[in-house]
Amino acid sequence: MASAATIIGRETRIRARVTGGSDVEVHGHLEGELTVGGEVRVEATATIAADIRARRIVVRGAIRGDLNADETILLEDGARVVGDLRAPRVAIAPGGLVRGYVETGHVGEGKRPAQSTATRAAPAPVRHAPAPAPAKHAPKAAPKAVPAPAPAKPAAKGRLTLAGGKAPPPVVPILKKGTKAALTKRR
Amino acid sequence: MASTVIGANITIEGEVIADEDVVVQGTIRGKLSAKDGVTVEAGAVVEADVTGGPMSLAGQVTGNVTSTDRVELQSGARVVGNVKAARITIADGAHFKGNVDMDV
Repeated sequence: MASAATIIGRETRIRARVTGGSDVEVHGHLEGELTVGGEVRVEATATIAADIRARRIVVRGAIRGDLNADETILLEDGARVVGDLRAPRVAIAPGGLVRGYVETGHVGEGKRPAQSTATRAAPAPVRHAPAPAPAKHAPKAAPKAVPAPAPAKPAAKGRLTLAGGKAPPPVVPILKKGTKAALTKRR
Repeated sequence: MASTVIGANITIEGEVIADEDVVVQGTIRGKLSAKDGVTVEAGAVVEADVTGGPMSLAGQVTGNVTSTDRVELQSGARVVGNVKAARITIADGAHFKGNVDMDV
């Protein structure tokens, strides 16, 4: 006998909302919702069509639904999951199959635009904040000091520009008026 | 070994259909149907119609109970509902309110 407090046998079909505090081991079929405080083990013979929330989820069987764990999601060999995985730690062993969105690390509420699978959800990279303060000061200080070279330095500090002071060169060379028309005419 | 066990602090709201034994220690609301034995342990709460094979009821059952075999109401059991079975035993100390239907 396994240690799990609740066992759903392989010849058992449940269509229900299952809630509680203990561990659950599923060998059979479950449809609905599974929310427990303990560990959920989805064994190889199990087929589940339900969202699962638990402290820890270990999968060897088939699941259609989202998995949410407070600690760990572990997909072992034989696991087949169609749904999203969210947990501080997600492990997918060789042989585990997933189709869905995976989010690890500190799991926030709500979906974020698809990130690549199994990446550690780093806080959204802050785009080199172009500190507005120095940029503002730059034009003021410029005329008082030496006219030409002065503005280059503070501006370069404040913004990530290629050439000091000047705006970055346009990526696409600007075409003169009528050039485009001339190009199309040529054809 | 019982094949399906509903643990003590688990609640199931819906239907459970088992082609094997079921042991209930927790709570079931809805429907419970087993091909084999059903055991409702002391402390368990079943608010559902129960069908199955041999049954041993020691917890609280509210709903109709139908068995192809025998139904045993253990001491301490609280059963409210009709019981239909081939054989029924009611232990001293079991609470029961409902009709009994046996093949007479």
